[in-house]
Amino acid sequence: MRRRGARPFFFLPLLLLLFLLPLPSPAQPGTDGYLAELKESAARRGLEGDRYWDILLFYKPAAEGRKSLVDDPNFFLAPGGKRDPGAELAATLDAIFDNSLSPPARCRFPARYEWLKETLPIDPARLPAPECPELDNTLRSINPKSASLIFASGHMNAPASMFGHTFLRLDSAYESPLLSYAVNYAATINPKDGGIAYAFKGIFGYYPGYYSILPYYVKVREYAAMDQRDLWEYRTNLTEAEVRRMTLHILEMQGIYADYYFLDENCSYDLLFLLEAARPTVTLTDRHKGFFVAPIETLRSVLAEGLIDNVVFRPSAARKIRHKAEEAGEAEVALAKSLASGDATPSDVVEGPLTATGKIRVLDLASDFTNYLFLKREIPKDAYQERYLRILAARSTVAGPPPESRPLPVPAPPESGHLVSRASLAGGARDGHPFLEIAYRPAYHSLEDPAEGFNDGSQIVFSEAAVRWYPRDEKVRLQRLDLIDIVSLSPRDAFFRPVSWKVQTGFATRDFPGGVESLVYALNPGGGFAWKVPPLGIVSILAETDLAISGRYDRSFAFGMGGSAGIARQVSDRWGLLAQARYIYGVLGDREQGRRFTASLKVPFRLSRNRSLVLDGEHAEGPSVHVGTIRLTWNAHF
Amino acid sequence: MKKLFLLVAALSFFVVGSANANQMNTGCGVGTIIFKDTKDQSTLIQVVAMTVNGTFMNTFGVTTGTSECKQPSKAVRNERLNEFVHANLDELARDISAGKGETLSTVAELMGVPAGDRDAFNSKLQANFQQIFPTPGVEYAHVVDTIVSVSNQG
Repeated sequence: MRRRGARPFFFLPLLLLLFLLPLPSPAQPGTDGYLAELKESAARRGLEGDRYWDILLFYKPAAEGRKSLVDDPNFFLAPGGKRDPGAELAATLDAIFDNSLSPPARCRFPARYEWLKETLPIDPARLPAPECPELDNTLRSINPKSASLIFASGHMNAPASMFGHTFLRLDSAYESPLLSYAVNYAATINPKDGGIAYAFKGIFGYYPGYYSILPYYVKVREYAAMDQRDLWEYRTNLTEAEVRRMTLHILEMQGIYADYYFLDENCSYDLLFLLEAARPTVTLTDRHKGFFVAPIETLRSVLAEGLIDNVVFRPSAARKIRHKAEEAGEAEVALAKSLASGDATPSDVVEGPLTATGKIRVLDLASDFTNYLFLKREIPKDAYQERYLRILAARSTVAGPPPESRPLPVPAPPESGHLVSRASLAGGARDGHPFLEIAYRPAYHSLEDPAEGFNDGSQIVFSEAAVRWYPRDEKVRLQRLDLIDIVSLSPRDAFFRPVSWKVQTGFATRDFPGGVESLVYALNPGGGFAWKVPPLGIVSILAETDLAISGRYDRSFAFGMGGSAGIARQVSDRWGLLAQARYIYGVLGDREQGRRFTASLKVPFRLSRNRSLVLDGEHAEGPSVHVGTIRLTWNAHF
Repeated sequence: MKKLFLLVAALSFFVVGSANANQMNTGCGVGTIIFKDTKDQSTLIQVVAMTVNGTFMNTFGVTTGTSECKQPSKAVRNERLNEFVHANLDELARDISAGKGETLSTVAELMGVPAGDRDAFNSKLQANFQQIFPTPGVEYAHVVDTIVSVSNQG
């Protein structure tokens, strides 16, 4: 899916072709002359090579000429329109003059029409003048005045969604953003597919991606309430005219698909075309030519183009509940929980000894948590209706505004985080033998990286490769090739009981008797629990399995089971601390060599947003294996 | 030991969630609209969908509609208000009980309550919460009608 550099002269042959080809016969007698005149003018001015035409039709330079990223044949009016901007332009002009189309072309493709009308220009008096009642109604309902770019942070327990998500919001004349409309681009997946089919299809473009429009309150409920994701609302400075243009373009994308590629032609990348349609002078889509486009990077592009005026933070329901629980203290939290579980009745609270402020805190927490339990389908609907409304009825009798409390702390915004690619240089010693190491990974965040702007306790690493050199025997060896290394440590508390888990797979170096290091293929998943224990940080306990495949093992593999315990702590803005002990007991295959104990300590030190140092030490114990390694790493994010 | 083995195996292949046997939500009261757009999927499928930002349906829904429910009395001809209350009944109940909140101020805006009268509007609704939401199965039409009549009382 590489997009190559532009070739400015490639369209000349197309232009010639345009003059040579016989024009399709227009359906509207009497307008032939005018239509031909407009086509001639469009060709003379090279409009099919215009940047705005590229934006509206999603044309990007391809191996030969230009090609649209849209794959839906219904999007193109010319038979070869996907690869022929000139033919598509001529066909669009034909269609505008074609009275027989239903819906009429100017209603179906209003952004194309408006642009051609202004640019050529077209005299509307000399055109068939169809009514577009559906378009007019939709525009009236949306009433677009300004626009926002919304960034949904990662889900607290799904690190893969930690990449975040972006969508647009069309803001109307209403003051309340809940009455705005969200414009989302997403793959329409088949729920019958299993995990692996799903991943394969998602990555290789087998799912169609569609734009959708929904009331913003639906998206708020989906992200902030159901998925526990924070929303960051970036208000753009797009003018009303620009937003109107963008809206027309969105409406012409209704029901049109493009093959969805999780890594690059994804939810975030395709939104950039809409912003370019609003203000074509900004460069957004061409900033992303790599094989992976992370939502946060598209947000950074939009910020870099000066499109954003300010940002509003909308905390998730879970974050609000946690904050209120901190304000309430243990006794009130316990009471709120028993209200939500139905073990206590709201009248006990209202008639109880608490102060009015205490009652309000308890009842608010109880209703929030009851709603959360229902969203998670942990209580059935009839119990929810009855319990929720009884708590609220009690709440309404405690008059007065809610207690003045410490405002909810706003976390660092996502763009304040480090950039996502990382290169590392390290020096260290293994069993007293010095070595140098270099490593690279394209994405995304590990626990030892500067934490600001990322979810606490989440790690997602894609294809990190490390090469090590021992001066003693002048050997360079592949030390590690992680295909995937995900860790999700989600602390449990009074209200939320998430599961923590990890999965790591790839080539890793393991120690064998006689001081031998050898590359094995390893798969190491695990699951367990984590808690926030104040002086220590996030404390986790995971049950793990470990499968290693290598010719060095008896029967070529070792499968073991065991567990790990760890501490992850942000000591200050600069210092961190990661400690872990792990024991695996050999169960199948080479049970002897499968037995392993490792203890490790990592101390990261943040130099700047994108630079850090990590000092780490590890000790590995196994049958006839006692190896200690110490290493200092310099990491650069870019 | 066998139990532990099973637990580890299960966690290892991160079958974190499973299909939930809850009934589909139908009706027009509190707690009904919430799952309208999320079909009964297993947690695993939902996590998977979220991961790659997938959806199960693509909607071009500028209006959400209220037609499946009983309509408010003829006096209330504010389709936008009806839709909003219908779709946000749970959040609105919470805000009215507290006498403040974004959903409540959105309703006030849709009803054209001037900024200066909002505090009085909020207090009036809070004081009449049990009239607006009298029973667990209360429908949105009753809520809209009662809000309008309560807010018109002197």
